[in-house]
Amino acid sequence: MLAAGAVSPTSAHRRDEYLQAARLAVDPDRVRIELDLTPGIAVADGVIAAIDSDRSGAISAGEAQAYAAVVRQSVRLDVDETPLVVALASSELPDVAAMRRGEGAIRLTLTSALPPLGPGRHHLRYRNAHRGDIGVYLANALVPDNPRVDITSQQRDAAQRELIVVYDLHPSRPGSGVASFAASVGVAVLVLAALAWRRRRTS
Amino acid sequence: MRSMLRLPVLAPLGLLAALTATGLAQRSAAPPASAAAAAATARIVKAAQAVAASLDDAGRAKLQFAFDSTQKSNWSNLPSGIYERHSLRMGDLTPPQKAAVLALLETALSRDGYRKVMEIVRGDEVLRRPGGGGAPGGRVAFGEAEYYLAFVGTPSTTAAWMLQFGGHHLAINLTMAGSAASMAPSLPAAQPAKYTFEGKEIRPLGRENDKAFELINALDAGQRSQAVLGSTVADLVLGPGQDGKVIQPEGLKASAMTPAQQTMLLGIVREWAGIMTDGFAEPRMAEIRANLPQTWFAWSGPTTNGSAAYFRIQGPTLVIEYAPQRTIDHIHTIYRDPTNDYGAKIAAK
Repeated sequence: MLAAGAVSPTSAHRRDEYLQAARLAVDPDRVRIELDLTPGIAVADGVIAAIDSDRSGAISAGEAQAYAAVVRQSVRLDVDETPLVVALASSELPDVAAMRRGEGAIRLTLTSALPPLGPGRHHLRYRNAHRGDIGVYLANALVPDNPRVDITSQQRDAAQRELIVVYDLHPSRPGSGVASFAASVGVAVLVLAALAWRRRRTS
Repeated sequence: MRSMLRLPVLAPLGLLAALTATGLAQRSAAPPASAAAAAATARIVKAAQAVAASLDDAGRAKLQFAFDSTQKSNWSNLPSGIYERHSLRMGDLTPPQKAAVLALLETALSRDGYRKVMEIVRGDEVLRRPGGGGAPGGRVAFGEAEYYLAFVGTPSTTAAWMLQFGGHHLAINLTMAGSAASMAPSLPAAQPAKYTFEGKEIRPLGRENDKAFELINALDAGQRSQAVLGSTVADLVLGPGQDGKVIQPEGLKASAMTPAQQTMLLGIVREWAGIMTDGFAEPRMAEIRANLPQTWFAWSGPTTNGSAAYFRIQGPTLVIEYAPQRTIDHIHTIYRDPTNDYGAKIAAK
């Protein structure tokens, strides 16, 4: 005999919220933001209506671009309190049916070039003001790909609409590329010399 | 004079002999963990072949996929009707075929892992039945018939392949390659998180919940202030669709925990890593234990058990997230290994 406890009265998914999940990739010279927006099934029609401006029932390329621009304008980024220009690098919008089912995520990639920053500690602040009426937010930094960037902490507001990434930027070693190449050549020479010596001994 | 000349010749020979003997000894004594894992793979392959043999050609066509196919990432927490799964549906099987699938799962999972999976599936029956909170008669379909099995790659004791089982609130993706295995990524979830079955109260994710609350409450004030994030984490950060992402770890590092607290942390981890059969789970736990100093524990929400609170455990080869969906009765979790999701590391060997 199966009996339920206190089960929520409807199906098992985010219904009346618009989940907006941001992941920030910090490089020495730029920031990339992956922003996924997933409307719950109870708010999907309203979000679709905001995108499908001609009420055709489908989202055209132009409508998708226009909506992506609206979201981009809701995102603010600054480094050490210097505002940055946020550009839209790419956008993918699901079809209307997927959004109505609650499985369609709008995926945007935003980028910002960073001004030349000296070595030391920096504060990158991200803020998302899109649809605060229904929005639920996640904001996280990704582990940096570049070893010059060392994230020391993440500070967020209570709702994760704002994320401050505190990071140390290490200096790039001058001529480090040349030094690595020289070291590789040196090792190669040693190996060849050792092989040649072995051949002489065995012949 | 002759003895002095002999030493420079004999000493290196002796060293070489010693090194060779050591190498041979190491090769001949296969580590017990590896042998147990290889035996587990062999048992699972046999059970998998029994499933395939019980089906007709049409059934096998729904069961078997190429290892490099997109079926690998065809999993979700969403139910049928919202998310389309393309493999072998439990509801389409005869009783003997279903029994073969359950026998396979019992072989591939530990006793606790099998129990957890069955409890999650039974929980979906609760949603399906009238008054269960699902949407009977609608497009969305709940219940134990809506769980799906796939073999991604041909079951083999040597070549890489994946056993995939899941449906609503469940995705088990177990990749095996000889004596190595990875269950990442997998998603055990639950709604209802508590129900009654045969007179007993069932909480599919109850142990992980309770152990986590024990740990957060075992921390001192200083430790807790590091572990607790000052913001609401509303959902999984690395859920379905977030393959290959590595988020910056945060919270309290395990190296700042006492040995007793570290033991509690490993106990929580085992609730996920131990879903696999013991032959796979023990080497996995050993790997996680070895990386414990670089493992972090983060918490968001109240610290009183019975509250909806999020937690994350993150190490070099591990990410676990436990995310209530605004209520303690609906929980999503994710289990990942950023170095070995879909067995990337073991399949490449």
